[in-house]
Amino acid sequence: MGRFKNNKKSRVIVKPIPKKNQEDVSHVTGDKIPKSFVFSRMKLPGPVKQLQMDLRKLMLPYTALSLKEKKRNTLRDFLNVSGPMGVTHFLMLSKTASSLSLRVARTPQGPTLTFKIHQYSLASDIAQSQLRPRCPQDLFKSPPLIVLSGFGSQELHLKLATIMFQNIFPAIDINTVKLSTCQRLVLLNYNKDTKLIDFRHYSIRLQPVGVSRRIRKFVQNHQVPDLRNLQDVSDFVTKAGYGSESEGDEEAATVTLSSDLGRVNKGSTKSAVKLQEIGPRMTMQLVKVEEGLCTGGIIFSEYENVDGKKEKLKKKQDEEGAEEEEEDSEEEGSEDGEDMDEDFED
Amino acid sequence: MSTGEEGHMAMADRGSRKRRVGVKKGTKAARNKKLKSKPSSSDRFKVTMKNQKLFQKRARDYNSDEEEEDESKKQPEVTIREKIFSDANMGPNYEEIEEEDGEDNDENSDGEDHGEIESGITKFATDGCNAFKIAFKAIMKKTKGDDTLGPVLSAHKHLIGEKLAEEEAEKKAKGQARKAKHLIAEKGHVKPESYLDSHEKILIGVATKGVVKLFNAVNKAQHAQKGLNPSRSKDAKVLKKRRKEAFFSELGKTKTDPKAQKSEDEAPAWAPLRDNYMLANPKLKDWDKKQETTEGDDFAAMSGDESYED
Repeated sequence: MGRFKNNKKSRVIVKPIPKKNQEDVSHVTGDKIPKSFVFSRMKLPGPVKQLQMDLRKLMLPYTALSLKEKKRNTLRDFLNVSGPMGVTHFLMLSKTASSLSLRVARTPQGPTLTFKIHQYSLASDIAQSQLRPRCPQDLFKSPPLIVLSGFGSQELHLKLATIMFQNIFPAIDINTVKLSTCQRLVLLNYNKDTKLIDFRHYSIRLQPVGVSRRIRKFVQNHQVPDLRNLQDVSDFVTKAGYGSESEGDEEAATVTLSSDLGRVNKGSTKSAVKLQEIGPRMTMQLVKVEEGLCTGGIIFSEYENVDGKKEKLKKKQDEEGAEEEEEDSEEEGSEDGEDMDEDFED
Repeated sequence: MSTGEEGHMAMADRGSRKRRVGVKKGTKAARNKKLKSKPSSSDRFKVTMKNQKLFQKRARDYNSDEEEEDESKKQPEVTIREKIFSDANMGPNYEEIEEEDGEDNDENSDGEDHGEIESGITKFATDGCNAFKIAFKAIMKKTKGDDTLGPVLSAHKHLIGEKLAEEEAEKKAKGQARKAKHLIAEKGHVKPESYLDSHEKILIGVATKGVVKLFNAVNKAQHAQKGLNPSRSKDAKVLKKRRKEAFFSELGKTKTDPKAQKSEDEAPAWAPLRDNYMLANPKLKDWDKKQETTEGDDFAAMSGDESYED
């Protein structure tokens, strides 16, 4: 027995080799599921850190929600981890004194899109601005749909952005998808005139159409309604409640369901699609497209013609400028104005 | 100023008296020894003759300032009796000081003096008193006229003012630095309004359109396969067949459809540059129909389209 024990002790513990992660490939469509890391390689100020957290939540469920990064972590570290984990996309936030930027990259070999974030609002800000913020339990258990709008122009960098964002979330097979899993929506709206991209995150809700508000609420809420002021039960059913102001455009937003969805929305009845904003809101601009993962040739740059030497010079100037900007913030505004001018010229 | 002089006088008197005490000890060593041995019995330290002398010398050194002053007004040595008498003589003088300075200390010290002379034990206590007295007198001498900050610390008034100003300036600088940092951190951060402005409404409209399109497509696709379970092999076969049919029917449509043909002719040769590159999905049955209805520039692409060849 003793020998046996010794053997057991001396034996090197070998972890069972994990089977090939089943989650890498969705069993429905057979496609590879894209996964993402959202991180930053610098110390972010409070609100930007919160924005990073919101982005992680947005990228759920195929992202590392509690990814810890350290100051000494380089991009290579993340890249090394991403291989075995099956991570296909990196979202990197970086903050300088003058600007906040988001880089969306495909691993392991690029391309990298750099967006300058002009404005942003956090999920908490949006929840605060709403009367009744909505957050069902299983909201973040399925990936969001993505809607790209206005990207249809012939410009190549926009094509690239389209492809990038389409691939960042798992593909949907319309033959097999369950509508109950479509809970969220990410909208990217490109404005041609300002060259800005509006980034919005909505929750999708379906409501039966053609039922009075009272009855709908009664069915949804499971609460005994207040019948004190009514003479008869029939009054409750027949009396029309206040019409919602959005009822006018409901017709455009109605869907005929083929199967039941939840308890309220029955199959072969009409349902209205209601969107309520959640998550972060960003207004960003595509500034740069690089071939590699944060390296390599520049395919597209908003501010300068594609010319390596000039770009490098510009970069250096920018860096110097950034340092100067820290000292005097007044110059900053004027510089931004110039940037805007450049945009219009283009 | 008269008060100061008188204070000095008083000090001088006391100084001389003390020195005499020391002398007295020297002469009446036996008695002194007896008295001194009492504290030594408390195990703390043993006072030998040598030590005692050392202490005395130190005490003298400590009081050396007074002694220098005393030397000018040195009086011949007096016996205890004489001293008591002199104390009595000094009595009214002390009272004068008391009246002028408004202190109570002198009266107390008077009493202590008598005690000291009798026993010799309270010597250190009186020493302490003396030191305190010197310090107190020094402070009193320093006092400068009327001030809002108080009589004692008024001498350092400008110092306090400086320090306060410095602190304030420091605080201000710190606050400004923090403010600047906060501004940089908050740059671009916008709190949304509680109402939906027109831009947001447009965006919601676009998003809703996209969702409706997807849901309709899903419903249309899933309506055909209603009642069939894709996990069952028998149903799966049927499904496959149906999808194939749908695909072929679509192919046929595109061939016959002149509009689609036309659009293909216009579009650039390279597939990714075509308008419908992202959208041409064989699995969407009636895609080209939808394409006709929707406007070209405002298309919504669902991630459900898996036709793009990377």
